[in-house]
Amino acid sequence: MLEIKNLHARIAEDGTEIIRGLNLTVKAGEVAAIMGPNGSGKSTLSYVLSGREDYEVTEGDILYNGESILELDAAERAAKGLFLAFQYPVEIPGVATMQFLKVAMNEQRKYRGEDELSTPEFMRRVKEAAAELKIAPEMLRRPLNVGFSGGEKKRAEILQMALLEPKLCVLDETDSGLDIDALKVVADGVNALRSPDRAVVVITHYQRLLDYIVPDTVHVLYRGQVVKSGDKTLAHELEANGYADIIGAAA
Amino acid sequence: MPAVQETIDQVRQIDVDQYKYGFETKIEMDKAPKGLSEDIIRLISSKKNEPEWMLEWRFEAYRRWLTMEEPSWARVRYPKIDFNEIHYYAAPKGTTGPKSLDEVDPELLKVYEKLGIPLREQEILAGVEKSKIAVDAVFDSVSVVTTFKEELKKAGVIFMSISEAIREHPDLVRKYLGTVVPQSDNFYATLNSAVFTDGSFVYVPKGVRCPMELSTYFRINEKNTGQFERTLIIADEGAYVSYLEGCTAPQRDENQLHAAVVELIALDDAEIKYSTVQNWYPGDKEGKGGIYNFVTKRGDCRGKNSKISWTQVETGSAITWKYPSCILRGDGSRGEFYSIAVSNGHQQVDSGTKMIHLGKNTSSRIISKGIAAGFSDNTYRGQVSAHRKAENARNFTQCDSLLIGDKCGAHTVPYIEAKNSTAQFEHEATTSKISEDQLFYCLQRGIPEEAAIALIVNGFVKEVIQELPMEFAVEAQKLIGISLEGSVG
Amino acid sequence: MNMQQAIKMTAAESALVDAYTAQIGDLPGDGAVLSLRDTLVHELRTAGLPTRRVEAWHYTDLRTLLRSVPAADSTAFSERVEAIVPGASVLSVRNGQADLKTLPEGVTARSYSESLLDGSAAAGLAVLGADDAIGRINGGLVRGGLEIAVAEGAELKAPVEIQVVQSHGQAHTRFPVSFGAGAKATMIERHLSTSAEPSFVSSVSDVTLAEGADVIWIILQQQGPADTHLGQIRFDLGKDAKLHLFVINAGGKLVRQELHGKASGEGADLTLRGINLLGGDSHTDVTFTLSHDVPHTTSSEIIRNVVFDRAKGVFQGKILVAKDAQKTDAKMACNTLLLSDDADLSAKPELEIFADDVQCGHGATVADIDHTQLFYLLSRGIPEKKARAMLVNAFVAEIVEELEDDEALVEALEGVISAWLEKHA
Repeated sequence: MLEIKNLHARIAEDGTEIIRGLNLTVKAGEVAAIMGPNGSGKSTLSYVLSGREDYEVTEGDILYNGESILELDAAERAAKGLFLAFQYPVEIPGVATMQFLKVAMNEQRKYRGEDELSTPEFMRRVKEAAAELKIAPEMLRRPLNVGFSGGEKKRAEILQMALLEPKLCVLDETDSGLDIDALKVVADGVNALRSPDRAVVVITHYQRLLDYIVPDTVHVLYRGQVVKSGDKTLAHELEANGYADIIGAAA
Repeated sequence: MPAVQETIDQVRQIDVDQYKYGFETKIEMDKAPKGLSEDIIRLISSKKNEPEWMLEWRFEAYRRWLTMEEPSWARVRYPKIDFNEIHYYAAPKGTTGPKSLDEVDPELLKVYEKLGIPLREQEILAGVEKSKIAVDAVFDSVSVVTTFKEELKKAGVIFMSISEAIREHPDLVRKYLGTVVPQSDNFYATLNSAVFTDGSFVYVPKGVRCPMELSTYFRINEKNTGQFERTLIIADEGAYVSYLEGCTAPQRDENQLHAAVVELIALDDAEIKYSTVQNWYPGDKEGKGGIYNFVTKRGDCRGKNSKISWTQVETGSAITWKYPSCILRGDGSRGEFYSIAVSNGHQQVDSGTKMIHLGKNTSSRIISKGIAAGFSDNTYRGQVSAHRKAENARNFTQCDSLLIGDKCGAHTVPYIEAKNSTAQFEHEATTSKISEDQLFYCLQRGIPEEAAIALIVNGFVKEVIQELPMEFAVEAQKLIGISLEGSVG
Repeated sequence: MNMQQAIKMTAAESALVDAYTAQIGDLPGDGAVLSLRDTLVHELRTAGLPTRRVEAWHYTDLRTLLRSVPAADSTAFSERVEAIVPGASVLSVRNGQADLKTLPEGVTARSYSESLLDGSAAAGLAVLGADDAIGRINGGLVRGGLEIAVAEGAELKAPVEIQVVQSHGQAHTRFPVSFGAGAKATMIERHLSTSAEPSFVSSVSDVTLAEGADVIWIILQQQGPADTHLGQIRFDLGKDAKLHLFVINAGGKLVRQELHGKASGEGADLTLRGINLLGGDSHTDVTFTLSHDVPHTTSSEIIRNVVFDRAKGVFQGKILVAKDAQKTDAKMACNTLLLSDDADLSAKPELEIFADDVQCGHGATVADIDHTQLFYLLSRGIPEKKARAMLVNAFVAEIVEELEDDEALVEALEGVISAWLEKHA
């Protein structure tokens, strides 16, 4: 589903190279964890995948279902099924969460040549998904992410993921700032979305989240490259021994 | 950033190039010759069968106007207006006082249909349940028709053109006209006092809550015609009225002058809510043509615990110069000003409000949202003052500007004047652009750039949109280039 | 005779023009300077002092407010006073006469009258614009002052106090001060009077900061209750230069303090802090403009006004962001405590913005002492008068505390504030 080949990317403004020859393949149905110390390029990878203009790809390619997506803008990638759950969800004052959801869902449908959702149908879907994630209807009337607690923000991200039904989900440090109960709710939400035709990339610094979202593969990112890959036991190894051994071997 | 250019293009499309109200209507017109003189004023007055006192009032204003100078303090630039190149009176032939809709020129009705004005009562009834709007439509200089007159009459509400009111309710007009905006107030108000041609008059008697929204649509059609309407609204003790004003004009290469005066008077415990969606032709993308909108609007909270609220959505006009204000004279009175001003192309906006606190325990609230794009300049200018005796005066002002593109300017010029130690004023202003983070977040959710910008701008102005009556809110959102197909509950 | 000369001059306008006429031949300057003086005084005579119709003087109608101007008196003399911060070097100008005794290392100075005589002062005498009444009066009549240079890389250990002491009559002084690249200094520009007789003082400081200079500049205005003080500081901030401008007004009858600056090098940063202690029948106007001319400059302004008695306070602040000055970050706040029913405060905090990628904001508040806070103190047994004084003091003192790196300085300024409050509150 996702194939990243020798990817090099840098910050557009100052030319600092962050991703330096990264290779990664994620199959449909797979949950891949990307782990790495601070500054290894984890968040940059999520931005480059989703098409943020502040980063430039200088070499290599990103194939999504066999096609390069480098020429697509962020909205087109999203409409094709790529979803990024943000580490720091953005506040948009004055725009009710509900309104935002509707615009996003319908714009994506429009891009794919589908009819817009009727209002009752839209409402039904939102209510169902919100109930699953224990999100109060009142929260949906509030402006997007404005004044939400850390846990509410992350749940709102998962709610969007559930409603937009993406094919490739990228979760950027979704566990940061969550207490254990919120973490479980979020993990349940993600697990509910696991399916043979959907892939999930979980970016995380800690192993903790992976107790709840159990990965099929684990990749260690360091200095913009995948330096080691393995199965879920690799995550436990990292938890026990830290990154030093692997980094030492790579350096 | 590429977003900027695209946004500029998008907003420009909505507001400038595709000015959809820019059609011209071919109707036979009755026009006064160009220029201004006592003869022209006499002609206007006689066309309207005005009583002698009205003519005298006009002359007085005219003589004063001759001694006045055009104001120059606002942040607007335009070539000198030749006041002798303007027609001060233009009326569709044979429409002085139609008795019913059947007597109105069908061409004219078509114009209003195109504008989307629910002129025909039955259409309104069929269209919107529980929501009726009485409309007074002003075409160039003449009020064409006022709907729902009968029903309003039952409630005791007088809603008619000011020309009719001068004839039919001279006592009320004489008592209140010019008492909020004196003849000598400013250059354009004085000019208006001399030559005003039509406008609306509303009187809501004691204790009456006006049963429906009242509305006036203004349209300038004729070439080189100035429009000088005059609106006078009086809410007697305990009365309530909500009044809506909409404006359009055809596309023209020449600039046209619009110099209106609006006076509101709220007596004890009365409330007036005045909303404007101003969409005069803004000129083309090179800045050619467009309306000069030099308007004086002022409300007088004359009675205790009275309230006046101005809401405006300003998207049109080449130049906007207007400061809907409140004189908070009555103890416990309250003034509000909610404004959205969008400028694009070469538009210039210098707009804001004045809140003059005179009485005790008066309060005011100002929320202004300016959005500047293209080559435009968008200035908020506002005054808040508390006089010596205005004990416990309270003001809150929030004034935010959003810049789209790097060729435009956004300016904030507040004047804060406190002469009473019990006054509490709070003023906040910000200027920023749409954040990259917000934009990327929307894009990542599959919302294309233009739609994302519209969405964020919509959020930016929401506080003000909420103040508009429902019918206008929808139109306003369209005008600002935002689709709010929300089922937001 | 042109039309403008038909304006009838006020007593103050005549006095200023007369002061000039009386001193012709005596005022220092070479040909260029003298002809510039002539032009400036001619403009003053024809345009008159500004009225409220001039936007920049909207709240300070100088033509009406300035009733009289004392005659210039070349014999007026006053003693040099102690430096406000112990250990500071004092460069003084008394009754317009420069007195250079103690120059710290890294600082060079000469009397400004020398610059007038050799003509090097001519360029700096130009007014900032048609509304620059202070520049005009000062340029026409300036006599003394100091031209100071702080050397590149110099780091001054102790503050330098520029002291303008006046007993009566008129003083028109100028201080062109340049700070070399990387220079670090604390300057105190202090204006005081030594008698109750009225003085009329105009003073213009022209300050430039080269790359990376880091300067604290304090203006301490403590003139007498009958004095008129027309002050102006012009500053230009080079690349990565940092200016912490601190203005305290604690005196004077009619005061206009103008602060006009340009952030003209990337990375330049201005911090402006102002404390206006206003009482009696005084009228005090602080007018500030800052132009962010290049990208990546920052500024932050906080003004605190405390207004007692029948005093009138004015703050006008304008932040201008030029077309290409992207990434500007500018925040301005003006907070006022109105403490008497006859006190009066007008504020006009303006933003004029021509670049889109900026973060700019301003806030203004006017209020009485916070009643909840007051009640809290009362409930703890603190008498009302004391409680009020504490709250007023806290309102202004928190700004002074920002200068915590220099304890002696903080102590000195707090001393000025509490002495003033004791006298007026």
